[in-house]
Amino acid sequence: MIEMHHIYKNYGNDVVVLKDLNLVIDRGEFIFIVGSSGAGKSTLLKLLLREIIPTRGSIKIFGRDIMRIKRRQIPFFRRNIGMVFQDFRLLSDRDVFENVAFALRVTGVPAKEIRKRVPLSLELVGIKDKASKRPDELSGGEQQRVCVARAIVNRPAVIIADEPTGNLDPNTSMGIMNLFQEINVRGTTVIIATHAKELVNHFQKRVVVLEGGRLISDQERGVYINAH
Amino acid sequence: MHIRSLFYFLGEALKSVVRHGWMSIASIAVVAITLLILGCFMVLNYNVTSLAEDIKEQVQIVVYVDKNAGEEARDELQSKLVAHPELEEVRFVTKEEAMERLKKQMGDRAYLLDGYTEDDDNPLRDSYEIRTKIPENIPQVAEEVGKYPGVGYVDYGKGIVEPLFQFTGVVRWIGMFFMVGMAVTAIFLIAHTIRLTVYIRRREIQIMKYVGATDWFIRWPFIFEGLILGLFGAILPVILIQCSYQAAAEWTQENIYFVSLISPQLIGTEVAQLLVPLGVVLGILGSTLSVRKFLKV
Ligand SMILES: Nc1ncnc2c1ncn2[C@@H]1O[C@H](COP(=O)(O)OP(=O)(O)O)[C@@H](O)[C@H]1O
Ligand SMILES: [Mg+2]
Repeated sequence: MIEMHHIYKNYGNDVVVLKDLNLVIDRGEFIFIVGSSGAGKSTLLKLLLREIIPTRGSIKIFGRDIMRIKRRQIPFFRRNIGMVFQDFRLLSDRDVFENVAFALRVTGVPAKEIRKRVPLSLELVGIKDKASKRPDELSGGEQQRVCVARAIVNRPAVIIADEPTGNLDPNTSMGIMNLFQEINVRGTTVIIATHAKELVNHFQKRVVVLEGGRLISDQERGVYINAH
Repeated sequence: MHIRSLFYFLGEALKSVVRHGWMSIASIAVVAITLLILGCFMVLNYNVTSLAEDIKEQVQIVVYVDKNAGEEARDELQSKLVAHPELEEVRFVTKEEAMERLKKQMGDRAYLLDGYTEDDDNPLRDSYEIRTKIPENIPQVAEEVGKYPGVGYVDYGKGIVEPLFQFTGVVRWIGMFFMVGMAVTAIFLIAHTIRLTVYIRRREIQIMKYVGATDWFIRWPFIFEGLILGLFGAILPVILIQCSYQAAAEWTQENIYFVSLISPQLIGTEVAQLLVPLGVVLGILGSTLSVRKFLKV
């Protein structure tokens, strides 16, 4: 489903962020992208969202060369990808329901459909009873669940999470990772960038290790290894 | 655009207008003041023009027939005047008729004219009173007609007509200048407000991009916001001008009977017809400017 071949990403002439990256991800996989801060994890995810384009190399997503996606088509392309952020990025001026509904409203989904889908999504992430609460009335873990609910509400093929547990304590983090696993079991591809070593090792999933912009290890049932 | 989306955009725009209450009020006020000045100017311009029109209509050329002109010359003069393409009305006034008018004008003192009224003693001349189709052409036509055979001399209120036309011309130019300047100011103010909205909503915009909202879907609420600001900014001065002009017109009618202002209904419609679309256009222009520059979608 995702194929990256010989990807290079530079900023200007001096800043080399990704070097000769090769990565193939199949439908339904659960994959951790790990590495220390500055290794290039976020850059890799941004490439998948077509927020940025590679300096060199080819990326195919859903069988399409991302360089061939026209500007106008990018929004429609992104509707296939749900994004989860470290800082949740919820809108503080509206309640949980509206935060999740937002993703549907701005993509032109009818209100009737929204009333059906949002509760389902909230139920799946386990915060159905918090629908009318505002984000600042929720704990960090609950806020992240809202963010996940928003990411999955339009049933994307892929969920991409950038340090989703970066702002959470270990127990809460485990809960969120379990949630991702549940979502994965239902058939959604899940890609998580993180440097939470214990969590990664606990789940025994595919682990891709980046260091200084290079892919130094890619293992099924892998563990988070450090080069040093 | 889908009707559902239209409501969404309008709702978002209205919410934004309400949410940034003071900024919105400020920009509506500035647009309103701008359009108010513009509207007042327009009312003034209309009335000056109408007044000028009134005066213009009273402006005519009087062609005095040469006392010594023979039948032939007189006939030729008449046929040339009648055939002149730029003339609208040609009226022959005999010197007897002219004498009658003069008597009427002098009223009580008409006795002074006794002794001049008999045909041979009448010092007045036969004349043609002519009007041009376009009042501005009077000086030129007068000069041309002056060269016709049988013409003694030509009179057309030189010294009144030209300055009048110059004045209305200048008023129009100043008006244009003002309106353009004001419009530009209004556009920039609206652009500034929308820019602020874009800034305040940058988080929302970012999320919209991530969840796959199209660029136009992101832009429309801002454009609608500008439209709403422009619309409200136009409605206020329209109402204000309508009310105060109504009062002014009534007052004038009662107190200065010889000046007739354009009817308030007519002015109201004209002002609304100009200001409302203008407000909307200014609003849209302002927001488009901002959206293009600050909304990187
Ligand atoms: N827009 C940018 N311009 C210049 N350098 C950048 C830019 N974005 C990221 N980088 C650099 O790329 C490297 C990798 O960044 P990032 O992908 O965010 O790493 P990670 O997410 O693994 O911490 C860092 O050294 C960072 O400074
Ligand atoms: Mg990062």
